[in-house]
Parts: sequence; structure tokens; C-alpha cells
Amino acid sequence: MDELAQAIRAEAARLLAEDVVDVVIGFQAGSLALRPQPAFFTDASGVDTLIYNGFCQNNLATYLARRSREERVGIVCRGCESRAIRVLVSEHRHDREGLYLIGIPCEGIIDWRKAEREAGLGPGGFAEVLSVSEQGDEVLLSTRRGEYRLQRERVLHDSCKRCAYPDPVGTDITLGEPAGADAREPRWGLVDAFEALSPEERYQSFVQEAERCIRCYACREACPMCYCTECFVDYTTPRWAESMITPSGTHAWHIIRAFHQTGRCASCGACERACPMDIKMTYLTDKLDRDMLEQYDYEVGAAEGAPPPFATFTLDDQDQFVR
Amino acid sequence: MTDAWTPRIVVFQCQFALFSAAEQEWMDTQLPPHIKLIKVPCSGRISPMFLLNAIQGGVDGVLINGCVPGKCHFKEGNLAAHRRLDEFRRLLTYLGMEQDRVRFAWIDVGERGRIRRELAGFEATLRELGESRRLVTRVPLAV
Amino acid sequence: MIKILPKADLATTIDQWRVEATVYAPVRQEEVVGFQPLTGSGNGCFTLDANSRYPPKSLFLPQSEALFRVAGSDLEPVEGDLSERIVFGIRPCDARACQLLDGVFAGTEYTDPYWSEKRRHTTLVALGCTDPCETCFCTAVGSGPFDSRGADVMLTDIGEVYVAQADTAQGEALLSRLQDASQEQIDASSQAQAEARAAMARPFELDGIRETLYGLFDDEFWYDVQQPCLGCGVCTFLCPTCHCFDIVDEAQRGERVRNWDTCMFQIYSQEASGHNPRPTNVERTRQRIMHKYAYFGELYDEVGCTGCGRCVRYCPAGIDMRQIIRSSQSRG
Repeated sequence: MDELAQAIRAEAARLLAEDVVDVVIGFQAGSLALRPQPAFFTDASGVDTLIYNGFCQNNLATYLARRSREERVGIVCRGCESRAIRVLVSEHRHDREGLYLIGIPCEGIIDWRKAEREAGLGPGGFAEVLSVSEQGDEVLLSTRRGEYRLQRERVLHDSCKRCAYPDPVGTDITLGEPAGADAREPRWGLVDAFEALSPEERYQSFVQEAERCIRCYACREACPMCYCTECFVDYTTPRWAESMITPSGTHAWHIIRAFHQTGRCASCGACERACPMDIKMTYLTDKLDRDMLEQYDYEVGAAEGAPPPFATFTLDDQDQFVR
Repeated sequence: MTDAWTPRIVVFQCQFALFSAAEQEWMDTQLPPHIKLIKVPCSGRISPMFLLNAIQGGVDGVLINGCVPGKCHFKEGNLAAHRRLDEFRRLLTYLGMEQDRVRFAWIDVGERGRIRRELAGFEATLRELGESRRLVTRVPLAV
Repeated sequence: MIKILPKADLATTIDQWRVEATVYAPVRQEEVVGFQPLTGSGNGCFTLDANSRYPPKSLFLPQSEALFRVAGSDLEPVEGDLSERIVFGIRPCDARACQLLDGVFAGTEYTDPYWSEKRRHTTLVALGCTDPCETCFCTAVGSGPFDSRGADVMLTDIGEVYVAQADTAQGEALLSRLQDASQEQIDASSQAQAEARAAMARPFELDGIRETLYGLFDDEFWYDVQQPCLGCGVCTFLCPTCHCFDIVDEAQRGERVRNWDTCMFQIYSQEASGHNPRPTNVERTRQRIMHKYAYFGELYDEVGCTGCGRCVRYCPAGIDMRQIIRSSQSRG
């Protein structure tokens, strides 16, 4: 992992020194070892603080919408980020020429909350971790009280366990060795499990997850695909999603936000990682993505410039519902 | 069989989809009180949010009427509607709604009386299904 | 008044309380701890090993609250829940935060009836923190793990029993049936409190913070601070002292409601004309920090933060409020 970080630093420094880009988006150490922060490097001499490890949990592509359109942006991207960027480019949200993709093969993002629990660190314990080290199947946490050796499999974020595309696509350069596409768990496992439930069970499951929602919109802000300057949730005439934390408003929020990701979601799981209330959402977007694959042979980010499924239609569209 | 309960239906009707002015007049003036008509310029105007609003408002069934592929007054509006609304119905079904509560009636202008047959059939289906109970979380819509 | 509440008697004591009031306590549902009304009093009914994620200020300022309903051409007031409540296991940071918010909602010039009525009918039984978390920083903001300001009762865990100190008439009424604490027990609790305070690292000192922040108002500092910020509402909604709200007419529902609002959303200060006095995340982030550590002080002569650490823990971008204050001081 350290070698990879060195390679990223070198490339970032080169891009800035040679004026290829105005800014490189990557990660740096935050105040807490388990919480690296997204970082924005504008000077070659400043890249020494750039880090990369399995705790880098943000989808950096979400920051593209927050940069000025004139900026040439270099961005560290893993499989999911690169596929999200492909979709953003196909939607004309960004100009591919203004982006420089530094591809990184991904071994999966570690869920710091799972790590805290696995290590038995108690509430707030994650903040006691002074340094981390990833060695193959193991993750080592060092605290003042001692060392904790965790199995990587047990602390990976859920979406990463099902990831079918850990290697980045459409990059300008790819560093490190390919991770390979063997997902640890079946890609559609979550959808299959949900569909195996009865309609009433599915409904209750959805209601239960949505109940905790506090409408903080962290999921929306963490998502690279949510870049609308006016979100549907703020429309008042009509009020599609009630402003209150009632089942009505919250159900509408989750259903419509997921639906707006149809054929766009790269299954990165940043939404779930951002959620302060541990709400599950990827079971919705996974279902929509699988439907796009089965109905229209569309795979998110699989091909450069592929038109989005909801922006295309043909007279040959299957007539399951035309009667 | 009692008539204690009548299913409440909302129809989103494409203004170009019907056979004749007479048929449209029937829709505009003769619909029974438990069926609410909302006309749209094209089925492509129908956003999934319309459907969700209706379902959350306790409507028992939503009928979506548009033109058959190739016959859209705006060329491709109905095709866009196809994909979006079909998938949205899948999503709502995934979350527990009975699939038959959302019905599509893509009607060719030559199909005289089709819309009335669809409505009758839909009402019969909804009587079998019973009142909508899942996702009903808004103040009831006045239908 | 200082009494003893033996842990063995906790369930029966809570049952007694439940006769007269609804008792709220931290309840764990999978990994999420939140304040819920208790339906039982046994050991498994509540958890005292972690603070809630969602702040208990929601008991006085609900995230969504109907103010009135429209029925035809009449306005119907909405009856609030004015039943007696006891909140057991609230932490000092959260109880102190409610007291700070009294300055906002029940101050000298104006009294918010929705807030004040609920406060009047609620007794706070705080559990002091004998084992503060690494993300806690109450001591740095003028509070502490056993700060009893804002609490009616403060409990100190000394092993088999809690030493219960009542600082208000409401608190004393709640403890009246319990035995007095012995001098030994009182000493043990003082000891536990001192140890907990001493164990806490102070990430910063707040001397001159207002001047420092005002001095940085036009500085590039805020641009750097806000770069990773996503502009979501996590820090504000989980914060026990945040109190901004938005009043909305929900036409389809026929209600005027008050919802929590967050200064971090882009539309927070947006005006009807379209003008936005805080157009970018720079102005909004600056406002957030300065409200907590400067403006609140101007209005209420207190720091607007009680160091609960939720913002540190749950910020999705890993932004650390303590780090921002430290950086402002080295920059300023």
C-alpha cells in the first residue's frame, strides 16, 4: 500500500510541476488515523502529505462538481470512481479533456465502524487508533493500549464485497497491479436476498431502514451522481417529498433518489458510508442497475460515451407492457 | 359481493391518445366519481413522482395511457415514458406494492372504446387486490 | 442533596418513575443508540455504554413539529405532548446543551412555548462519563464529564452504586425516596470525577478564540477548511447545540411545520429574489464555525459547543472540528 501511495505522490507531483492540471484530488491524513480526508493539491511541493490506504472512504468524483469549470483536475480514482466519472462525462457534466484520471486498483474500502467493533474498541475507540497497516489479508491497528490484528474480509465495506469492477477504467495512467474482478460475494446477492422475501416483508424492511433517516442528505452529497443545483426534495410546488421526517417524506426521498440513479450508479457505496444512521440504500440501486443490465444490456461505466439508458429508447424496446 | 368499497383510480391520460373527440368528451364529463382524470400533453411528461404521489396518497390504482410506439405526437415521448415508468413500477413492486396497481394502456388512435375497456378491467383487478395499504403515507388525495 | 442509587435497584426505581412519567433512556437497535421511551425497566431495555447518535435536544425541539393545521378556513392548534417525562442516561454534554438552548428559546426577551412547555415537563437524570471517549472534548469548551449544569440529577458510577446528586427541585423530588450517600461514597464519586476529567486530553484552549476567528474572517483559511466539506447536514443535525429551524407550509398536508434546518445547505440563506448572502461553501463553513465559537458567545456569553464529539465521529469527510479550531489559532 505504501508503494502505491508513493507512486500516486510522484504522479501528482509530476502533473502539477508540468502544469498538466491545476489541482490533484486525492487523500491526506486527517487528525484520526482511521479517517483520511479528501485533499486538494495545487502545488507539487505539497504532495508529500498525500496518502492512500483502505480507509480512504470517500468517492472523490463527488468533488468534481464542486470545482470551478475552468480548472483542469487530476483525480485519484478506483474502479467505482472511474466508472462514475465515465457516466458524468457521458452526461456532459464534465469535459473529459479537463480531467486526468490517476487509476488505482482497489482492494476494497474498510468500514471504520466495523473495524472499531471487530477490535472491540468501544464507543469512540476508533479515535484511539494511531496508525494502520494493511498486510495482505490483515489490517493492523495500533493504539496506545495495544495492537489489533483484523481480518480484512470481516471489516470490508458491504458494497466492496460485491464489487465486480475494482480496476479503474478509462484512465490516463494506472498505477499498481490490477486487482482482478473476482467479487468476494455475488454481485447481485443483496438484490436476490431481498427479492426472496415476501412483498410484505420487503415493504416492512424498507420502512424499517427509512425510519432512522434524519434527512441530512449526506448520501446525496457523498454521491458523485447527485449534482443537481436544485434537488427535487426542495421543490414546493408540488411538494414531492414532504419536508418533515415522516414516513411519507422519507420514503419519497429514498425511492426517488435511488430512481434518479438508475443506470448511473457505480455501486460505490459512498452513500451508505456517509450515512450517520447506518441506513442501507444499495439494495435499491443494485436492483435498478441489474434491471438496466437485463432489460437494456447496459452496464454503468462499461463503455466510454455509452448513452444512458433513460436517455435512449428504441422502437424495439421490449413490449412486456404494450398491450 | 358488496359494493362497500370502490377502488380509487387516477388516470394519467395523454391528450392525443384517444380515438375521437366523442371519446375524449366521455372522459372529460362521464367518468364516475372514483376515477380522477389528469391529462398530460404526452405520456413522456409523466414523471415517476406523479405515480409516487398518487400511491402515497392512498390511490388504489394508477392507469397510464399513452400512444403506441411510433405514434407519439411528439415522436418519442412515449418511448421515454415506457422505459422510465416500467422501471419505476418495478421499483415500487420491489418495495412491496402489488404490480397490478399500476397499469399501462398504450392505445392506438384506431382503438375505439379501448380506454373504457381498460378502465373497466382495471377496476375489476383492483377490486380483487383490495385497498392499497403499502406506501400509503400521505394525507389522502381527494379522488 | 446527594443520594445513592444502587444498580441492583435501578429497575425498580425506573418502574417507580414510570408510574408518573414516561422514562426515556438510550436504547440500542443493532448498532444505533437512540433515546426511546422505555417499555420495560430490566437490564436489556436500555444501554448506558454509549451516547446516542441523534441528540436528545430532539425531545424539546423535535426535528419536525406541526405548529398548526388548516381545516377549511380555520386554523387548528396542534396539541403538543405535555406529559411528564424523565430522561435517564443523558450525558452532561447534552444536558448542558439543552441549558444553552434555553438561552435561545426561553431567554429574557422571548419564550418559545413549544420548547419551554416540554422543558418544564421534563426531568433530566444525567449520567456522568467515568470513561470519556477519545472524541470527547467537553473540558476544552468550559464543560466537563460531570458538568451538572443543565441536569436535574447527576449520576456518578462508583461501581455497585450510582452516587446521585440533585441540583434542582425537580431532581430532589425524583430522588426523595432514596437513601443518603455516605461520606465515603461521596468521596469515591469525587475521585471518579476528578480521574475522568484528568484523563481527557484538551485539544485546544479557547482563550481569545473570538478575536482569532474575527481576525480570520477574510482569510484564505476558510477556503482550505471547507474543501473536503460535502455541505451535508450531519454535523448540524447531530449537534446538541444547533438550533436553526425552517418553518414550512406543507400545503398538501394542510399543516404549518417547523423543521430543523442547517446552515450548511446551499439554500439555507437563499432569498426569494435568488440572492444568496452565503453563496459558496466557504461562507457557509465559516459561518458554522463562527456561530459556535464566536457569535453564540456574543449573544449568550457562552461557547456554543459542549464538546460531545458527534461531529468529529460522523462527518463523512473526516473533518475534525477540534482540528479546525487548532488550525485557526496557529493561523491567526
